[in-house]
Amino acid sequence: MAGGELGWTVDSRGTARIVAALGRIDERTSAAFGEGLAAEVAAAADDGKALVVIDLAGIEYMSSRGLRGLTLAQRRATERNVTVVLARPGETMREILAISRYDMVFKIHETIEAALAT
Amino acid sequence: MLIRFWGTRGSLPVSLKAAAIRDKVIGALLAADGRRFADAVEAGAFVDGEIPFSTAQTYGGATSCVEIEAGPDAFIICDMGSGLREFGLDSMRRCAAGHPRVYHFFLSHLHWDHIMGFPFFVPAFVPGAKIVIHAGHADAEQALRRQQEEISFPVPFDYLRAEFEFRTLEPGTTYQIGAVAVSLIEQHHSHSSFGFRFAGPDGKTAVYSTDSEHKIDDMEGETDVVAFFADADLIVCDTMYSLADSVSMKEDWGHSSNIVVIDLCHEAAAKRLALFHHEPTYSDADIARMHSESIRYEELTRSGTPLEVLCAYDGLVVEI
Repeated sequence: MAGGELGWTVDSRGTARIVAALGRIDERTSAAFGEGLAAEVAAAADDGKALVVIDLAGIEYMSSRGLRGLTLAQRRATERNVTVVLARPGETMREILAISRYDMVFKIHETIEAALAT
Repeated sequence: MLIRFWGTRGSLPVSLKAAAIRDKVIGALLAADGRRFADAVEAGAFVDGEIPFSTAQTYGGATSCVEIEAGPDAFIICDMGSGLREFGLDSMRRCAAGHPRVYHFFLSHLHWDHIMGFPFFVPAFVPGAKIVIHAGHADAEQALRRQQEEISFPVPFDYLRAEFEFRTLEPGTTYQIGAVAVSLIEQHHSHSSFGFRFAGPDGKTAVYSTDSEHKIDDMEGETDVVAFFADADLIVCDTMYSLADSVSMKEDWGHSSNIVVIDLCHEAAAKRLALFHHEPTYSDADIARMHSESIRYEELTRSGTPLEVLCAYDGLVVEI
């Protein structure tokens, strides 16, 4: 999907859809990020997938708008019986998730494989 | 321009218990590690330089009251939380030294923690004092009178001897209060709240924005907030909850988070941020942790000029 300055990849494995954004999620890209997540959650649900894994490895940094986009995606996913988990945060993302306490509201996995085992 | 913080807590005043002070003394003694001090000055230098603020001092427990000193002609005060009592006593001292007995209040909103100090505001009892209460709420007078009805307080509003004027302000209009230009913005909060922007004659600008929720389903609306914050020398902003709390169990509680506010300040190119309206259940250590995390978040996410992140406490004075 188009994301402006945001790269985006999607993969399917078993009952999971793995989505990865690349770049910085800030005030310029957060809207596209949020829309992309919403679309992927909907696609996963339509496809009978029970899990969406958001691969954070390519995300340099995420602002509060990006983080809140994760929450909106999680809400949409819950409505459609889909679970959203996060995977492979880099050091900066790991700190941001801790400071925002988002590590208390999302399961975070070190690897994609661990996320798929959810 | 000087900004004096007389009350920095949200929701409810709090005070330190004996056990908390005991813990602080223990912390200080351990930090001293047997050192001896020649006198109070030397001991004070050690306390100020080598013991964390959260151990040696306290962020305080009075609710919202912030003074903007931008000229000699009148006092300008944001909100009437319990911190107003101490401001009132201090202002009496300053009036005795010649300061005009003119007070301009700007009320963010009418919830109890932001008006509870007014019945204890001594200048209101002084004949000849002039008190102007500016609010975006047309029912500000009703709220102040109601909290002094006999069922709630023994001294009725009509007993007060100062000269009162209530002014309802409109967002989008700039008002001149002496040499200070004041504008306001409506914010998301129960029964609404308003943020105020003060532009002094020296070109310095301070913004007071408390009890403002930045809604997860209205992130595009934050461009208005960024514009209101633009290039400010100091933003005093509600940072009561973690971002996770503000979008989950505390959604719709009407408050913001440090993460969101730092992002807004970065976008607005503000120079300094004072974290404000501290959660009443937070200890001094909790507030200090929130402050250090906020500083770190600002470092991680900065793309231009650094934003200085302060943590407001009762008694803090910031010069801009």
